[in-house]
Amino acid sequence: MPTDIPLSALALAAILLQVLGGLLAVPLGRLGHAARLRILGALCALTTLLVVTTLPGAAAGEVHSLRFLQLTQQAWLELRVDAMGALFAVTASVLCLLSFLYSVGHLRRDPRPGRYYAFFMLCQGALLAVAFAGNLVTLFVFYELLSILAYPLVVHEQTARAVRAGVKYIVYILLGGSLLLAGVLLTFFLAGDQPFRPGGILEAGMGRHMLLAAFACFVGGFGVKAALVPLHGWVPDVHPAAPAPFSALLSGVLVAAGAFGILRAVFEVFGIALLADLGVMPWLSGLAAFSVLFAAIVAVGEDDLKRRLAWSTISQMAYVLLAVSLLAAEATVGALVHISHHAFLKGGLFFCAGMLASEAGIRKVGELDGAARRMPLTMAAFAVAAFGMVGVPPLSGFISKWLLGAGMLEAGQPLALVVLLGGALLAALYLWPLVYAAYFRPAAGTPDSSPERQAPLSMRVVVVAAAAISVLLGLLAWLPGLPVALARAAVAAFFGGG
Amino acid sequence: MEVLDLRPMLAPAISFACAGLVFLLGASDFWRRLWTLGAAVLKFGVILSMLPGSLQGQVYVYRLVDFPAGVGLGFRVDGLGMFFALVSSTLWVLTTIYAIGYMQGRHARVRFFGFFALCVSTTVGIAFAENLLTLFVFYEILTLATYPLVVHDETPEALKAGRKYLLYTLAGGVLVLLGCIFTQGTAGTLTLSQTGILPAEADPRMLAAAFVVFVVGFGVKAAIMPLHGWLPTAMVAPTPVSALLHAVAVVKAGVFGLLRVIYNVFGVDLLRDLGYAYWLAWIAAFTIIAASVMALLQDNLKGRLAYSTISQLSYIVLAAALLTPLAALAAVLHIAHQAFAKVTMFFAAGAIQRSTGKTHVHELAGLGRQMPWTMGAFTVAALSFIGLPLFAGFVTKWYLSLGALQAGAWWFLLVMVASSLLNAAYWLPVLFLAWFRPSVEAPVPVREASLLLLVPTLASAAYVILLGVSARVPGMPFSLAQAVVRFVTGLPEIS
Repeated sequence: MPTDIPLSALALAAILLQVLGGLLAVPLGRLGHAARLRILGALCALTTLLVVTTLPGAAAGEVHSLRFLQLTQQAWLELRVDAMGALFAVTASVLCLLSFLYSVGHLRRDPRPGRYYAFFMLCQGALLAVAFAGNLVTLFVFYELLSILAYPLVVHEQTARAVRAGVKYIVYILLGGSLLLAGVLLTFFLAGDQPFRPGGILEAGMGRHMLLAAFACFVGGFGVKAALVPLHGWVPDVHPAAPAPFSALLSGVLVAAGAFGILRAVFEVFGIALLADLGVMPWLSGLAAFSVLFAAIVAVGEDDLKRRLAWSTISQMAYVLLAVSLLAAEATVGALVHISHHAFLKGGLFFCAGMLASEAGIRKVGELDGAARRMPLTMAAFAVAAFGMVGVPPLSGFISKWLLGAGMLEAGQPLALVVLLGGALLAALYLWPLVYAAYFRPAAGTPDSSPERQAPLSMRVVVVAAAAISVLLGLLAWLPGLPVALARAAVAAFFGGG
Repeated sequence: MEVLDLRPMLAPAISFACAGLVFLLGASDFWRRLWTLGAAVLKFGVILSMLPGSLQGQVYVYRLVDFPAGVGLGFRVDGLGMFFALVSSTLWVLTTIYAIGYMQGRHARVRFFGFFALCVSTTVGIAFAENLLTLFVFYEILTLATYPLVVHDETPEALKAGRKYLLYTLAGGVLVLLGCIFTQGTAGTLTLSQTGILPAEADPRMLAAAFVVFVVGFGVKAAIMPLHGWLPTAMVAPTPVSALLHAVAVVKAGVFGLLRVIYNVFGVDLLRDLGYAYWLAWIAAFTIIAASVMALLQDNLKGRLAYSTISQLSYIVLAAALLTPLAALAAVLHIAHQAFAKVTMFFAAGAIQRSTGKTHVHELAGLGRQMPWTMGAFTVAALSFIGLPLFAGFVTKWYLSLGALQAGAWWFLLVMVASSLLNAAYWLPVLFLAWFRPSVEAPVPVREASLLLLVPTLASAAYVILLGVSARVPGMPFSLAQAVVRFVTGLPEIS
């Protein structure tokens, strides 16, 4: 395993840039808001560039690690660039960049931009550190920081609703964090400080009860953020309460961070052989399958637009966990690809929902009638992302669902495939009526001219960009350096090398 | 590796001389400040000069008086004493600066600074005590020397708190003396040793009695529930005194006494055989949880701080009672971690009170905008208590939990988790109010406390972060704590 410095040093530089941005956000206000946005935007873009440059090496299966801080005796903070980490990091930073651009427009009249951008930058840094974490301690440390740093963004608007959502958020996240810490401690106690390793660092000889307890802690701890039913309670309240650009990140990548954590735990802490031996995966499959269907059914009946999207996130993330729980190579490829594709689709939907709410005042599903006339661009992007979410070819959502479905069949789990198709059908049921209402129903009152044109350019650009990315990821899915190739590189390590 | 050296005696003597100078020549502000600050820095230097030796397991000894029958007063600097002395003398420097700012324009400053110096002198005496008798003598002087500080305001409330304080701590002192007598009778010596001095073949009833009186005696100052009653009442004292009580001297003296009893009087092997430590661990666990619940119910900021102290002190007791190397490491480290985080909070609370007159949690709305640096320091300390990674508290939590697993007692893991959550439950609302709620009054411009208050606050907050991220950098307390586990506790080496 080569352990050169360069690629992981890039990762560290990217994280530090974000930290720098976070620390500077408030003092930069003295130069004026426009200057602040230019500098932070440049930092954000530079970070994304740095992260993207790790892609070729990571896709080629190289692994680079860098220990940069000794936290306690034998507990190092360690960054590592590998295929799975790079995939998640690139997804996260591109979506963050979009979200940043969107924020510029969305927060144009905000009274407290300094705080928002400070925590935004720090969150992105923590997110990248989660993606590039080279061992369990590092993953835990930055996962916890991410949770706390996201809080000021959740309650940013300081409305009563946001504050209530904030309380719910912090309670769930702290409980999840405690479980996770217990899991990390148990693992550390059993195996010491070891880097993630395909095939796992825990062994069957370490005591069945301890291992089961550790696994339960990991699923519970990461499951809170990954919105696994019944740990999902915060999602439908918190995602809608946050400012629109941050909702997009919450649903797009923060929830995925939980799923990502479970992937790390399953493949690189426990290893497939040990988990098959422990026999816990059918339980996870059951929970995930229930999540897929339950959340989708609730989404169908939800009237608030952003809440409906939040329920959809719960359902879609459960696909990932369902696929992981099968411990089959092709299904895992699908899971990884879905994390990335879903991020852009759901991010796009939340950007659109934000536009509808802030520019046209549309917050409920019932208010969408005829919206396409007033917001043509937004609704077009919304329709693309919605079709992608349902899995219509040739959009990105189709690719990931196809991979998931093929993997499930290959693993000999037709029941999982039924759940997958059921979820897709329900997705059509909760998303198609929105598109239909916007395009084919007459508007209720006299429509005001075109609120969309008054929206800031940055928001319109982002909405279109998110939709375009989803189309391109679908059409060009097989190009090297895109999610499918990276996922295959990662999975080859888990299943081949282990 | 014992070396005869004058410095163990010199360190307490410096503070003692400083107290004398302040009493005699302290009428002018300038001279009083010079004596106090000079002595604080000088003493810190003397103690620091012994650090390299302590890290190597070197023990510095100086015998003062010898009574017949092998009893006497003497000083002996080993790792644990060194650790305690370093923490308290570092904080003395910070607290002195803070106190100079805080006490400006208050009455009876000569008395205040005189007894302040005396307190710190006796604290070092406790840290460097060679035997139980010396420990006891300084322990009692500490009680008496803090009394004038507790009642400093001379209000009826303060006098009442002072009476309660004396009642509790003097009673505790008597029990410690009783423990000394039991020990002398059983072991024939009072000189502390690495493996403990009580013989395993002694009468078990005698051993049990000794353990109980020691735990209760030291437990009063360590504020183990239900012996904690004096601590919340003593909050009427001026803020620097509270800092002294809570972080630097008094409560730490109690905890330190318990550590000495566990490691150097009984010894880990004997305690493990007897099984008493197990009970102590449960009492500590109860205190951790119960005090946290009490803290939740306090609206007075200093009251909340007081119960938080009670809870945090029992982390140390619990860790010591687990009798495993990693837990011992946590116990020693937490002496420093709790001290710096708690001092930060007290400094912040005092600065808030001085600048705005606010003393209750519900009044803190919007304070983050008014005093951003002070509240920032407070936030750091609060996050450390919650145990967020990259702060000092996390390191404690980490080792304490691993120590519990090492002892095969996973249920203490649940105690840690519950305590973290409770800490979050009583600190996060404070942070929320300060940062995310607009002020009730008209918006106030940024108006920080004076630099004399702000600088020590920020310095200790910065140290809390430093303790969390760079524990392994040479010269940080971690290496000394490791030396303590290795040379003082008689536990096996940490792998």
